[in-house]
Amino acid sequence: MTKSSSLNNSKVILELKSVTKTYITGASQFNALDNASLKIHQGEFVSITGPSGSGKSTLMHIIGLLDNPTSGEVLLEGRDIAKLKEHQLAQIRNITLGFVFQQFNLLPKTSSLENVLLPLLYSDVPKKDRQKIGINLLIKVGLEDKFNNTPAQLSGGQQQRVAIARALVNNPKIILADEPTGNLDSKSGEEIMKFFHQLNEKEGRTIVFVTHDMDLAKQANRTIVIKDGKISEEKYA
Amino acid sequence: MLKPSFNDLLKSSFRSILKNKSRTVLTSLGIIIGVTSVILLTSIGNGLKKYITDQFDSLGANSIYVSPGKVFNDNGGFAQGGVSSMMTTSFTQKDYSFLKRKIKNAEIIPASAVFANISSSFSTQKNIEIDGSTENFGVINNIEPSAGNGRWFTEEENNKKTPVIILGYQIAQDLFPKSSAVGKKVIVKGKTLKVIGVSDKKGSSFGGPSLDKQAYIPIEVAYDLSGKTDIQSIIVKVKNKDLIETTKKEITDIMLDRYDDKDAFSVFDSSQLLSSINSIISMLTIGLTGIAAISLVVGGIGIMNIMLVSVTERTREIGLRKAVGAYPRAILIQFLIEAVILSCIGGGVGILFGYLGTLAIKPFFPAQVTISSVILAFGVSSIVGIVFGVAPARKASKLSPIEALRYE
Repeated sequence: MTKSSSLNNSKVILELKSVTKTYITGASQFNALDNASLKIHQGEFVSITGPSGSGKSTLMHIIGLLDNPTSGEVLLEGRDIAKLKEHQLAQIRNITLGFVFQQFNLLPKTSSLENVLLPLLYSDVPKKDRQKIGINLLIKVGLEDKFNNTPAQLSGGQQQRVAIARALVNNPKIILADEPTGNLDSKSGEEIMKFFHQLNEKEGRTIVFVTHDMDLAKQANRTIVIKDGKISEEKYA
Repeated sequence: MLKPSFNDLLKSSFRSILKNKSRTVLTSLGIIIGVTSVILLTSIGNGLKKYITDQFDSLGANSIYVSPGKVFNDNGGFAQGGVSSMMTTSFTQKDYSFLKRKIKNAEIIPASAVFANISSSFSTQKNIEIDGSTENFGVINNIEPSAGNGRWFTEEENNKKTPVIILGYQIAQDLFPKSSAVGKKVIVKGKTLKVIGVSDKKGSSFGGPSLDKQAYIPIEVAYDLSGKTDIQSIIVKVKNKDLIETTKKEITDIMLDRYDDKDAFSVFDSSQLLSSINSIISMLTIGLTGIAAISLVVGGIGIMNIMLVSVTERTREIGLRKAVGAYPRAILIQFLIEAVILSCIGGGVGILFGYLGTLAIKPFFPAQVTISSVILAFGVSSIVGIVFGVAPARKASKLSPIEALRYE
């Protein structure tokens, strides 16, 4: 039995059903996503790739509940997110999803530890446990000596590792990464990818990442190629 | 439960405010100026009230004033034309003797003013208020010359129409700049009067006519000078404070009997006069404070402006916070708290400056910081923070996370 078929048997954690996202600028309409359907299973390591402007970021935003589709359904763990209110979506983003961005998006002039702890501000995790969680995660990403450094005092790779620790802080089921190595040199990029692999293999976390780099995309178990808003092919590693 | 906790919100708000120290100072400046002026003005108003109360306490305690015409309106303020009616209408000798006969256990002191020029060998002072009264008038009004400055006239001098005069401090200076006025002669309406005393310096109490620019003569002499025996006011001095109300009632009944019109005369004591003056000062203080409060509004607009800038600057941060789970209200509250902290910093510094300013003017002017004005100033500045913080905070909370994250 191939890996893909075994995944097909596991639980679907996220499903898009004929999702279309239309942007209207003046008189012209533009479908950033056109009737896209896909399923992501628990424990999968999926890459989304395609040329720039193909709609991969839009797809990422919709998967990340940061944006609403114009039509179609998004089901997260079987729940239709269209029916959820803004604050419920925020809660899901907080608990179920972990984001890693190309630009790192760390708060400036704020220590690594506090950056990691940021999502916990909006969670129910008791205050007394927070510090420990953050410290453990920073140790896990190899920044045990950088707790109090601000982003400006860290290299790009280190900043992205802080961002990964932040994404993990609420123990999310899905990690969503948008060009996570896009702003890094190749060595740091490799390290970050290695880390994602570990998270996937050792902890069974579902990882979805967007990249325009086909070589990087191939590292995933499955690659979703998107072109002009349409999902053109899916390749299994 | 509030997520993040209030403590966390405060901490992060303070941090972002401290990141931009000079901006914080400049933004708070509007509120600082507003609160400082509000505190200063209320301090001055309150000090003035206290000063006047003290003056009144030293002045006509246990005295009831009976004046012709309606002095007070129904709200306790001065009636329109009330004070001037005191000047134009008068009681008659009959009113006076009637009161004197009917009211027991009290001294009845008539007062009749003459406006005339006073001349000395040195100068002429024009149109001076010369109050004619009895031998007790000086003690009651606390205008008796102190030791070394002569004396008040006696009952005998009054009865015998002895031509004597007591000068106010300033008028004595003007008439006799080179030496003491006591013992000198002055001429009023062609009549020569001997100066037997000079009152101590009183100063102008509240912008009214200065007691230092008045003179006092026996009422019998005043009748002669004016050619009339009108009485402009009657002072009823009672033995103690408890008698004031009952005596006032008595006088009112007697006068109503005579005039059959409650607006034809007024019966009041110093507390009533005091409360009228205080209500005027309160109005003035409120008015001036209101004008000063405009600067609070201007300060509030400054805060709104800088918060809008801050929201724009921190668009990415807002996007990130939303992406990692901040719900709109959490963002709203965060920015609102920042605005309130900014305005409260302004309020706190303003209160401090207002306090220091009050201390600085205290030697020259009666001023007093009150707790209520501090509480008010602080309350108003936090309200300003909330009111002017809402618009930027709402803007922040409504940002779409992806657009915010994409913001360069």
